[in-house]
Order: sequence, then C-alpha cells, then structure tokens
Amino acid sequence: MTVDWSWISGHTDDLTTLTLSHLQAALTAVLLGLLISLPLAVVAHRVRPLRGFLLGLSNILFTIPSIAVFVLLLPISGLTRTTTVIGLTIYTLVVLLRNTVEGLDSVPARTKEAARAMGTRPLRTLLTVELPLALPVIMAGVRIATVMSISLVSVATYIGDGGLGQLFTDGFQRNYPTPVIVGVLLTLLSAVAADALLVALQYVLTPWKRRRA
Amino acid sequence: MNRRTLLGALAGAAVTVPALSACSSGITSLDSQGTTSGGGGSSKGGVTIGTANFTENQVLGYLYAAALEAAGVRTTVRPNLGTREILIPALKGGDIDVLPEYQGALLHYLAPKATATEEGEMQNALAVALPAGLQVLPYGMAEDSDAFVVTRGTARKYGLTSLADLRKQNGELVVGAAPEVKKRQVGVVGLKDVYGVEFKEFKSLDSSGPLVKGALKKGDVDVANLFTTDTDIQANDWVVLSDPKNLIPGQHVVPLIADRKADSTVRKALARLGDVLTTAHLTELNRQVDKDKKDPEDVANTYAKQHGLAN
Amino acid sequence: MYELLTNLGSWLTGTAQWSGSDGIANRLAEHLQYSLLATLIATAIGLPLGLLIGHTGRGAFLAINLASFGRALPTVGLVVLVFLASGLSMWPVYIALVALAVPAIVTNTYAGMTAVDPDVKDAARGQGMRAHQVLLQVELPLALPLIMTGLRLALIQVVATATIAAYVSFGGLGRYVFDGLAQRDLVQVLGGAVLVAAVAVVLDLALSGLQRFLFRHRTA
Repeated sequence: MTVDWSWISGHTDDLTTLTLSHLQAALTAVLLGLLISLPLAVVAHRVRPLRGFLLGLSNILFTIPSIAVFVLLLPISGLTRTTTVIGLTIYTLVVLLRNTVEGLDSVPARTKEAARAMGTRPLRTLLTVELPLALPVIMAGVRIATVMSISLVSVATYIGDGGLGQLFTDGFQRNYPTPVIVGVLLTLLSAVAADALLVALQYVLTPWKRRRA
Repeated sequence: MNRRTLLGALAGAAVTVPALSACSSGITSLDSQGTTSGGGGSSKGGVTIGTANFTENQVLGYLYAAALEAAGVRTTVRPNLGTREILIPALKGGDIDVLPEYQGALLHYLAPKATATEEGEMQNALAVALPAGLQVLPYGMAEDSDAFVVTRGTARKYGLTSLADLRKQNGELVVGAAPEVKKRQVGVVGLKDVYGVEFKEFKSLDSSGPLVKGALKKGDVDVANLFTTDTDIQANDWVVLSDPKNLIPGQHVVPLIADRKADSTVRKALARLGDVLTTAHLTELNRQVDKDKKDPEDVANTYAKQHGLAN
Repeated sequence: MYELLTNLGSWLTGTAQWSGSDGIANRLAEHLQYSLLATLIATAIGLPLGLLIGHTGRGAFLAINLASFGRALPTVGLVVLVFLASGLSMWPVYIALVALAVPAIVTNTYAGMTAVDPDVKDAARGQGMRAHQVLLQVELPLALPLIMTGLRLALIQVVATATIAAYVSFGGLGRYVFDGLAQRDLVQVLGGAVLVAAVAVVLDLALSGLQRFLFRHRTA
C-alpha cells in the first residue's frame, strides 16, 4: 500500500473544503449539544427523581449505533447536513450531559450554602458560583464530545454527507488507499488541534486556577 | 456565563426540542411531501444532481453537470448518496433534483410486474409508473445492465450458461449482491418469480464493487450481481449468464428529474449528452476512474470537452 | 410512528426472523463473537500496558492521552484502510475494534494503579516484597475495581461499534442496519439498533452487578 503524493497535491482544494465541512458539522453538534445539555443538566442535578431517568436514558442512547441514528433520521430531515448534525448532537448531548451533571455535583455543598446565606438567589448562584466551579469538568466533557464528534462525522458518509469520510467511501470503491490514508490523518489532526484549542480555552476561562496561592 | 447566555441557551433548546420531537406521521415513508407543479419547471435556481453509491453513477452525474453547466445551468453534484431506495424519496422531497437512472431497472423497481421490453414502451410505462412530480427525460444510447455472473470454473462445473440453468442447482449456490437486490424484481425476487431459482444463501455485498468482486474471486459466492460496464468481467474471464426470459430488461441510461426543474434547457443539454455517450465510452470512463484512479469529475469534464458538449 | 413500532414488534418476535443465517439468533451470536473476542484481545494488549505504566510511572503521558487518540480515530477510515490492505477478511473488523477498546482499558488500568495508596506500596516493599510481587499481590488487587470498570466500558463500546463488520460484508447486528439502509427498510434498521442497544445495556447491567458483588466489602 503506497501513498500517491500527486493525488494529494492535486486535491488540496477538495481537501480543504472537505475538512472545513467536516469541522462545521462536528462543531455545530457540540454547540447544539451544549445548548441543550446545560439546562437539562441543571434540571438533572437539582431534581432528584429526574436525574436517574435522564442519565439512564442518555446511557441507552449512547449505545445505539451511530449509523442507525443517521438512517432513522432520514425520513425526518432527508439527505441533508441537518440530519448529520442532529445525529451527532444526540451523541454530544449524552457526553455533555454526563459531564455537566458530574461537574455540578462536584461543587462543594458548603460553597452553595454560603452563597445562599449571603442572599444570592438560586439562578444567580447557578450562574456565578456553580457553573464556573463546575467548568473544569464541563470542559473535560466538551473536549471529549468534540474529539468524538470529529471522529463520528465520517460515519455520515453512508448517507452521502460525512466530510472527510467521503474520502473513505471513494478510496474503498476504487481500491485506492491514498484518499483513505489522507482522510484518516486529517481527521486525527483536526481532532488533536481542536483538543489543544479547547485546553487553551479552558486555561483562559479559569483564571483562578492560574493564580498561585 | 451570564444571564443573557443562559436565556439564549434556553430559547435555543425551546426551539430545537419540539422540532426533534415532531416525529409525527410519515416516519415509514417519505411520501406526500413534494408539491408538484402541473406546468413546466425551471432550472434557473440551479440544479442538484444526486448520484448512487457506485462509481459509474458518479461519472454520469458529473457528465450531466458538465452538459448542464455548458448550457448555462448552475449545478451541484452530490456523490455517493446511497441506493435507489434512498434516492427516489430524496428526489421527491427536494434534496436532489436529478438522478442518472437506468430504464429497465427503474421500471421494474417501480412496477415489478411490468411487461414492456422495448425502449419506447418502457419509456411510456415509466411515465405511468413514476410518482407525481417526477419524470424521465429521453433515454441515452449508453446502457449498463445488471448481470448475474459466475466464474468460468463454476460455469463448467454446473453447466451454467443461462439464468434458467441456475434452477438445476436450487438450494446449492450462494449469491452475492448489494443488499437491496435481495428485495428487487431485477434481483433475487425476480429470479424466483421468472426462473424459479432459489439460492442457498444471499450475501449482502455491494454494487459491482470490491466486496462482491472479491467474494466471487475468493469463492465466497458462486453467483455475483455485477454491472455490464465493469471491465473486470472480461479481465477475469467471468461468464455472464444469459437471460432468455427477459428478466433483465434493457437498461439505457435515462435522466430522472423532478418536474420542478425540468425545462427545455435541461432537456436539450441532457438529450445531447445521451446522443453522444455510448456504452463503450461509458465503459472506458469507468475504467479510467476505477483502474487509472482518475477523478470522476475530471474524467467527465475531459470527455465533455472532447465531444463538444462543453468548451 | 405507531405503525413503525408495531412493525418493529412483529419483526422482533416473528419466528422466521430468528432462524437461518440472516436470523436474529445467528446475527446476535456473530455480534457477540466479534465483541467478546475483540475485547479479549484488547485486554491482552491493554491490561499489561496499563499495569506497566501504572507500576513504573513511565509513559504516563501515553496512558492519559491514548484515550483521546482512540476517540479521535475514525472507525470507518480504519476499517476501509485495513480492508484495502488485507482484502476480504475479519482483520479490518478486529483491528478497528481492538484499536477502539485498548485506550479505554489502558487509561482505566492506569487510573486504577495510580489510585493505589503509595503508603500501602511502601509498606509492602518494607516487608521485603520484590517489584513483581508488589505489582501482583498488592497493586493489582487494589486497582481491580477501576480495571474492571475499564473492561466493562471497553466491552460496551465495542458492542455498540461492532456494527462496522457489516461495512465489509460480514455479519453481526450491523447487518440489519446496513441492509435496512440499502433497502430503505426502516423497521429492519430500528430492529438492528434496538438489538445492539439491548445487548449493550444487558451486558452493562450484568457486569456492573458483578462488580458490585465482587467488591461489596470494599469501602471506597
């Protein structure tokens, strides 16, 4: 199995387009996942009976094969990017929900009580005390969800989307390893780069961790 | 994280959740969503060409694009979308506008009991069988048919020359084809219907791709469903079983298009392509893509230029 | 929606559905075979690796970041790549599944090893135990809960991903999803998905229960 370098140099435009399309799908899914999981996590964290239900349901959702999710969405949103993003969001949602609940759980009870004793209302406590303190664990979840999402996009190639995943289908049909190798490497690189950016973001968002006691 | 962000998040959730749960009717079928305009369509807004999940269909898709672009129509090609079963609902629903199809195969997919065998008859039968909102444009010269193929060794061993001969080995042979072929008239269903053939096992592979050809070579399957424009048939000295009862009708390439995009510009451009592209040409283009590893788009554009379909 | 569910019900319960090479019984057996064997191979690779890194402390960077790397690897790409290299065989399936499972096992084994109280290890060494004795008689038993969690997580992930066997013509429950896509038979797709989820959930519950039972006397 050899790499055809001329293919790579001849396809830089296509590769750029595919990579950007790929990342757009993955990142949209993470953002949507965050948007949905945050309020859900707060509910799960505060309402005891719902917690078990929501976490249990998300665990089950996680075991459904991603290709099945994409296919089952076809009658709803058709052969479109929307289908891919909704499918991916289901998985980012599960990861983010788990981590956000865990993050909120990790906030010491005494800190919350102190805030309440000072007269802070629950919503303000959530926004100014709980969520910031939960941030490291939430960010860990965002990192996991992002990397996972970038990897999962390629499964959507079976419904005609798939970003870099289309290179896999192409290479497979024509018995041509080069596009496949390039696709795998670009996917890995994108995931590593995204992960690194998120680590940097976390560093920026948690200044109190940087201050030496 | 401040109050505004949280409210924005809640608003976003409020919009997304109902949309996701609108799992109402139509989950098992994608019908009744395309509105049909009785009159002519227009290609002014651009045309999206969808293609199926095998390389030849991509070549055809890019050929259509080249022809249409030369006629001033903006096109987008969406390659490798899936099988006909997936593509036709997508066509009705508006995700794609045009699809390179195959006359007999399409007809028998829509009307398994159709009896038309001559091209003109099939074209009329298609007009009747197609759901509202879809039409076929004039068929082209090039033809790519389904074929049921065995190795030379298998043919000798069981004395197989035609599909009728398979009946002698009922329950003994393994057939390999793309998964959808199991349920198709031009497929396992029709083989039983018309020739009384029953296989020992059906292996889900792909459309004349690496899986089915690899399996035939390896001996994992005895009979394989391939396409007649696949040069590997000749290269491997495989035997195409003949079809005396006409289970597999002529399969000329024919554009399947949504009414909403069918205008005279599109009609003319694709008719010109259909009159120029021969089976031999198509076979050669496929070979360039599969063996020489050229891009379907490049191969199509070069062909279009060479044959005066584009500048 | 209701129609889909009732069709699913008859699909799952029809007796014809369960027999033959494409029957649910056979596909389930194939799926379990791929999953269990892949997890076993991954354990044979990942467990010693995790133990070694945890015991010596060297290569911690690998243990921590391997999970990230494993998560980033596109399974479809890996399956296709190995298929192009090795043709029609089970290699693509097993290599992809093992590549998926090893990181989870290594990371959790390492986590289990680092969670062991250093004082306990010191005490053991103080008693005259040699390195391998400390590892096998002290560290490993203490790290076992987290190691088992890693094995359980790996198995569940593998079960959910073993559908990839269908991408390269093999069996397992993924066959229903893939064939269902090609035939646009949504009941079949849903059936395959539900069965995979059911197997994963059942295995998860069984193994968690086993874990709880095995470590019922431990306090932490």
